[in-house]
Amino acid sequence: MDLLQILVNGLSVGAVYGLFALGYTLVFSVLGVINFAHGAVFTLGAYFTYLLIGGAVGANGLLAGFQLPFALPFWGALPLAGLGAALVALLVERVAFRPLRRRRADPLLALITSLGAGVILVNLIQLLVGAESYAIPTGALGGLPASFPLLGARVRTVQALLLGIAVLLLALLTLWLEGSRNGKGLQAVAEDAETAQLLGIDSTAMVRLAFGLSGFLAGVAGGLVGLSVSIAGPYFGIGYGLKGLAVLVLGGLGSVPGAVLGGLIVGLAEAFVPADWSGYKDAVSYGFLFLVLLLRPRGLLGRPLPTKV
Amino acid sequence: MDAALFEQMLLGALLALSVYLPLRCGQLSLATPGFYAVGGYVAALLSTGVPAFAGSGATSPLPALLAEMALGGALAGLIALAIGGPVLRLRGIYLAIATIALVEILRVLNLNLPFTGGAMGIFGIPQPFANAEGYVLFTLALLALACWLCQRLESLRLGRAMAAIRDDELAAACVGIDTPRTKLIAFVASAVLAGVTGALAAHFFNSWNARAGSFDASITTLAFVVFGGSRLWPGPVLGGLVLTALPELLRPVGDLRLILFGAVILLGPLFFPQGLVTAERLRWLAGLLDRGRQRGRQAPQTP
Repeated sequence: MDLLQILVNGLSVGAVYGLFALGYTLVFSVLGVINFAHGAVFTLGAYFTYLLIGGAVGANGLLAGFQLPFALPFWGALPLAGLGAALVALLVERVAFRPLRRRRADPLLALITSLGAGVILVNLIQLLVGAESYAIPTGALGGLPASFPLLGARVRTVQALLLGIAVLLLALLTLWLEGSRNGKGLQAVAEDAETAQLLGIDSTAMVRLAFGLSGFLAGVAGGLVGLSVSIAGPYFGIGYGLKGLAVLVLGGLGSVPGAVLGGLIVGLAEAFVPADWSGYKDAVSYGFLFLVLLLRPRGLLGRPLPTKV
Repeated sequence: MDAALFEQMLLGALLALSVYLPLRCGQLSLATPGFYAVGGYVAALLSTGVPAFAGSGATSPLPALLAEMALGGALAGLIALAIGGPVLRLRGIYLAIATIALVEILRVLNLNLPFTGGAMGIFGIPQPFANAEGYVLFTLALLALACWLCQRLESLRLGRAMAAIRDDELAAACVGIDTPRTKLIAFVASAVLAGVTGALAAHFFNSWNARAGSFDASITTLAFVVFGGSRLWPGPVLGGLVLTALPELLRPVGDLRLILFGAVILLGPLFFPQGLVTAERLRWLAGLLDRGRQRGRQAPQTP
């Protein structure tokens, strides 16, 4: 395979990892915990997209044969699926995170409660639409060709889209975080929730905002992966979720550009693993993660770790 | 109760103790399933490949099982010893993620190394016991030993040092506790216990593959400890027993089974943030037993 092809493959996979890690990092920055239900929200985004473009449910599951009475173009379905995923993320916050915060319980318990929420979501999907895989037809892109030539290589349109949308979302997110009142509020809560509260920022609303945004990003990423690969069953978000975790630490916990940079690095590194060693591809990101944790625990773009005395 | 299910519950309790040991000095390590898988592979490879361990036909001698458990525990302990130094410098969520990464790296290795049988794993592991009841008795003894050691720890200098680190690592270091060494001991002990359990489990399950040590297992074993309570050893034991049995006991509800399991994991920490077993509840239980015993003694006196 030629170099450009490898680069495009790596960057587009990396873009997905980056979107995934962005969702983790938004929640981590305000609450200091990891949302293990994030992978399930991503999976839901993929299924929402599939249904919204008019896909029919297979023969297994309670919703067998179900089909929405309308079919949206992919461009309409993707943001709507993102919104749907955002609503689910808000629900996860409501049941798995807020009760713990209200009781001032150990934040690490959220690892377990969010995992419980994830288990429920994944098995709910399985119950409703079955365990089979679904493919979003590339025809969903309308008139766009399946691939186009670029500097002598053939690039799949989906891959270019993945990369483009990830970069666009990152840019919008950064602009919003730096330029808007709510964005600054979110950063203030990430810095110190109590002080932010004293300054008149509604920190509960900011936490909700972080969850909503992370759900939207995960939903969009899910829809895009569903289009570029396929929806390989209710569990397919888990693998991405784990990679996202590695990416999160690699880039630096709580760092927005770090999440995207980490995603691209891991995606590229995996793409450069030779075919003979492809079985070891999944270990690459964790190997990286290990190295970074040992050499620079705060991650590539993270802030220095606070030390409590 | 079904002896095979009971055996799985006992194995769950042993794994929960393995997660509990590092937590006892405040270290959230999720590496247990990785070491469990390593121990299982040691037993599987030795008993299917080395004549001295294999025994005759489908049975294998008990001394061979003990030797495999020792070797499986030793290899897991050595891996823990090798990586423990740098890894245990990490704290909190960073340590948790690093240990998840370790489990995944071990899983990928187990899946791809030339001698571990790939995705299918290793089959036809010989049986040291004729039936599940044999395993249950043996595992009960092992669990009792592990519990006794955990109880002993409470009164040893080492155990006190671990508790001090959990409560405040800096203060512990200030009063002269060698915190890196204590944390390393806890981490290695956790790995050895997981490796020993894996060696036993490989025989019990009769086959072994890379799925034994996965991310799911990391979180499930952590759920054992959180659910049961992380401060006292009866907590993880109870959590391991109950949460291993739960998906099986929920089988009658069919497709809803894993959804209900998720609901238990979700709601458990909300209603019991300290876990089921706390010092207070143990005291209350002891008081209850005491009163019961007194009443029993008084009963014959009142005609």
